[in-house]
Amino acid sequence: MSQRPSYAVGTGLFILLGFAALVYLATQTTSVANVHRGASYTVTTHFADVGQLKERSPVKVAGVRVGQVQSIALDPASAQADVVLAIDKNFNKIPDDSVVTIFTSGLLGDQYIGIDYGSSKKVVGDGGTLALSRSSQPLEAMLGKFLGSGGAADNLGGTYAVSARFTNVGSLSAGAPVKMAGVAIGSVQSVEADPVKLDAKVTLAIDKRYNHIPNDSSAAVFTSGLIGGQYVAIQPGGSPDNLKNDDELILTQSAMQLEDLIGKFLVNGSSSGDKSGSASGTPSPTPPTGKK
Amino acid sequence: MSARPMRNPLLQALAQIGGCGLFLLTLLAAIPRSFKHFRETVRQLWFVGAMSLVIIMVCGLFVGLVLALQLYYVLQIFGGTAASGMVVALAIYRELGPVVTALLFAGRAGTSITAEIGLMRATDQIAAMEMMAVDPVAYVGTPRFLAGLIAMPLLCCVFCAMGILGGHLVGVTWLGIDNGTFWSNMTAAVNLHTDIVNGILLKSLAFGAAVSLIAVYQGFTTPPTSEGVAYATTRTVVASSIAILALDFVLTAFLM
Repeated sequence: MSQRPSYAVGTGLFILLGFAALVYLATQTTSVANVHRGASYTVTTHFADVGQLKERSPVKVAGVRVGQVQSIALDPASAQADVVLAIDKNFNKIPDDSVVTIFTSGLLGDQYIGIDYGSSKKVVGDGGTLALSRSSQPLEAMLGKFLGSGGAADNLGGTYAVSARFTNVGSLSAGAPVKMAGVAIGSVQSVEADPVKLDAKVTLAIDKRYNHIPNDSSAAVFTSGLIGGQYVAIQPGGSPDNLKNDDELILTQSAMQLEDLIGKFLVNGSSSGDKSGSASGTPSPTPPTGKK
Repeated sequence: MSARPMRNPLLQALAQIGGCGLFLLTLLAAIPRSFKHFRETVRQLWFVGAMSLVIIMVCGLFVGLVLALQLYYVLQIFGGTAASGMVVALAIYRELGPVVTALLFAGRAGTSITAEIGLMRATDQIAAMEMMAVDPVAYVGTPRFLAGLIAMPLLCCVFCAMGILGGHLVGVTWLGIDNGTFWSNMTAAVNLHTDIVNGILLKSLAFGAAVSLIAVYQGFTTPPTSEGVAYATTRTVVASSIAILALDFVLTAFLM
């Protein structure tokens, strides 16, 4: 029995260690955590949208970490997010007109707060507020700007309706822009299938400011970019008469399906033998890779 | 307890499972009687738990290290190294922690339980206990079973903590992931209930029960020869590993 205390104590230590590990895991690595430590001062900012910003996300100046996000709370009155930043005491010379922005590191990366120094002589102190902030840009908004078709026209002066028939509208839908020379002049009002003629009847609402469009103009369904949205492009004709309300555009060009394009490209080289590619005016950079 | 040799391996396996299940009932029924031998339970806890700490801690550390390293190189492709902490934590809590701890536990503690009880049988110590009116199940079996049951979750917690530490060491100290990002991603993704309670505690409790049951059962059914002890020890590892991995799948399907 002289051996007993040693293993009893050891077992007690083991159990303690196990529970200590459990407590550590439960408090430090779960949402229970988020306690700040280290000498720092707090600065409050307001954002209209914090996106994926989280507590303990880094705060950076010129890409160098100076602190972290201490808390994120919604201000119910203004529907803004109050974000409290805990900034290291060493970095206490931040001008009070600095701009606080939410950035994303990489496409999938985490969000962090960047501070762009202002020019004010006054520095923001403990408990101060940085009023100038730029919210996080949702990816959808950025993609929309980048890939989108530039948005529809503002339709300030009312619109007039013009119809056009297409054998294929692709993924064109109501609300898509109508463009002339790349500028939005209206929007697609409706897209519907004609039960008799078996094609698609598209009604375009064109801004009344643009009432000098020749009535032999042609309409085409284009795609902005490879994966962008589709829009209707009007190519002006040469007729002296202008389009009026309820007119119809006779000359139309349907949407190009990606499959068709690829098919054309592939078939082009293999089927037409000796005069492949160059005859059709589209140079094929790569030789046909083989028969389908 | 040893049966007549059966030729059909399917029947043999069925008999093993059935015998194991019945033995579990015997073990559970002996729990009240084993309270007399509380000190024995503590001694077993020391043996299977505290003595396994070193291997568990070292293995946990290395699992965390290598996991963070691998994740870093993959996530780098997508510019998502910030998610390393989160993935390390989730992978360890939900799968690697309980499973690897249980496998190590089966190898470290399960085998020695089987070998010890098997040798007791081979040297007729079990029979001697019965002669002295000491219930061998309550004195030898249940304390080891209970010790395994208690030790597994604790060991698993230690394993997970060491794994996180290892991940932090590689991710933050070595590869330079931001410390705050590492932790904030982790704390944002890890849920106390699904990951800690369901992932670590429940799973490792189940694994602990399975491994200790198999080890004690194999010990008690050892053919009383030196070859039999070797055979039973091997079977403990094989059966435990299969039980752990199969149980892991079932538990994951039900708990997640």
